[in-house]
Amino acid sequence: MSSRTPRASGYFRTGYAQQFALLQTRLETRSLVLFVIALFAFPFFASAFYIDLASQVFLAAIGALALMLLTGYAGQISLGHAGLLCAGAFTTGILAQELHAPFWITVPAATLVGALLGVVFGLPSLRLRGLYLAVSTLALHFVVVYLGGEYESKRGFSTGITLDAPTIGGWTIYGGKVWYFILLAGAALTLWICLNLLRGRTGRAWRAVHAHETVAAALGINVAAQKLLAFVISSALTAMSGALFAYYRGFVSVEAFSLFLSIQYVAMIIIGGMGSLLGAILGAAFVTIFPYAIEAALMRLPDAQSYAGVLFAVNYAAFGVVMILFLLFEPLGLVGVWRRLQTYFLLWPFKHRPLERGRK
Amino acid sequence: MAELSVDNLRLRFGGLVVLDGVSLAVERAELLALIGPNGAGKTSVFNCISGIYRGEGAVRLRGEDIAGKAPHRIARLGIARTFQHGELFPQMSVIDNLLVGRHARIGYGPLAEMLFLSRVRRDEVRQREKIEQIIELTELERYRNAPVGGLPFGIQKIVGFARALALDSSVLLLDEPSAGLNREEREDLARFILRIKHDLGVAMIWIEHDMQMVADLADRIHVLNYGKTIAEGAPSAVLNDPQVIEAYVGRG
Repeated sequence: MSSRTPRASGYFRTGYAQQFALLQTRLETRSLVLFVIALFAFPFFASAFYIDLASQVFLAAIGALALMLLTGYAGQISLGHAGLLCAGAFTTGILAQELHAPFWITVPAATLVGALLGVVFGLPSLRLRGLYLAVSTLALHFVVVYLGGEYESKRGFSTGITLDAPTIGGWTIYGGKVWYFILLAGAALTLWICLNLLRGRTGRAWRAVHAHETVAAALGINVAAQKLLAFVISSALTAMSGALFAYYRGFVSVEAFSLFLSIQYVAMIIIGGMGSLLGAILGAAFVTIFPYAIEAALMRLPDAQSYAGVLFAVNYAAFGVVMILFLLFEPLGLVGVWRRLQTYFLLWPFKHRPLERGRK
Repeated sequence: MAELSVDNLRLRFGGLVVLDGVSLAVERAELLALIGPNGAGKTSVFNCISGIYRGEGAVRLRGEDIAGKAPHRIARLGIARTFQHGELFPQMSVIDNLLVGRHARIGYGPLAEMLFLSRVRRDEVRQREKIEQIIELTELERYRNAPVGGLPFGIQKIVGFARALALDSSVLLLDEPSAGLNREEREDLARFILRIKHDLGVAMIWIEHDMQMVADLADRIHVLNYGKTIAEGAPSAVLNDPQVIEAYVGRG
């Protein structure tokens, strides 16, 4: 993980624990502190629109990180991501609606439901791979969405379930700024969990299974168990994101969980850069902000109001074009661009790394 | 008792008989060379032992029959192997490749790992200390943090060998470890093999095509041809066996 980051000379490790430290240098620590201060300061300066946009990015980042674990590291393709978000949101909606369950019960319950569904979603991966696995997860997506739709119509919430603002210990969670911090905490927690998994035994096993299943088994890795574990952890985190989404919107409806949402999440990890957690976050930000950017760009054109009707179609088309451009010209995604920038400044004023001496 | 013994092993793919009653045994701190022309079934013997193929017949590890167990269980019981083409994890560093080999020897579970509890931290440090010993043994110090995919082929083969050692196993199956290595690298490999035999007392079965290396290093030789044993015993006797010479160079 750290070996691929460009790094100037003069850094040497002196202990084994430094090999898996999350922050390797003082510069990294300082940058992180600055970044966290900026994140905390942001809602006090930004308008409600930008706070909402940032909150959406955090929500998307949780789902994208979870999918990155599964696809980018364990190598299992899933198109069932929207189904899992749907399951998390509906578990929350149903528990809050039927049992008036509080926030601190619904979110863990949704996470648990996600974990259980992860086993179901993961079972086909023991026999199928690639496109066939994608289709089987897609089938499960439709099952989950169908069940949600049935619940809506049978219980008479044909337009969706409305959720009251959650309370924790008598304190009502309400308002854009509060949600900004809750979703930021959720995204940070997810990132931390992912980082921990990837620097330990499980992350190594997933990457081994991704590369060579037979070799992984011959090295003592229970391939089936590791695949299922990847599905379980990824699905649990995704369902948690679905539960937070339900509260954040205050409203749950199956319409929000279309196949297009699954595609958007797959797009996030491809555009961001496969096999990188930073990529998942960059991709989540890109895909979330992209439609707003397109809209803002269109509205700047002369005679803007006459385009308002085609905005939706332009958005879809532009999204497709960007996907194709990334696949063709930057398969490493935004992370590839970021790394190239880092290397550029590291080597400046030179263009190329010196030839490494002493290698056989 | 032999560390590992294979008894009357048979394997067929449809109508093709790959292994026809192969029996062999290897003791602790013994280097058994498994030789034979291409397609003789040498790698198939390894695949049967490590559970990737399921043949008929018994495979015993210290007397216990392990035939039919899943590959990861067999690896955990103490049979490690290398692969003909290295089959490393190219994107991962040398250290991470070796740590994958430690997988079965790491005690913590995924929940503790998610929170990176202090016992996870301690175990990771312990594992890395252990890996460092293997890195030292196989002289890989300068490549520690390099992604394996970018290393020269010869070094990659040594990494594959080191990764198998990381399992802490009592039996090591080496599938053509010297193929593609230059003379200097072969000499290094020979030193490592002897070091492991003498220092760690590991039982090794070694598939090899370099007859000079076999003659110099092996304690015993087992020769396969068309899935059958045609000779076995001490190197000097086996390599002069007319049947073995015929299998390799044809009838004079």
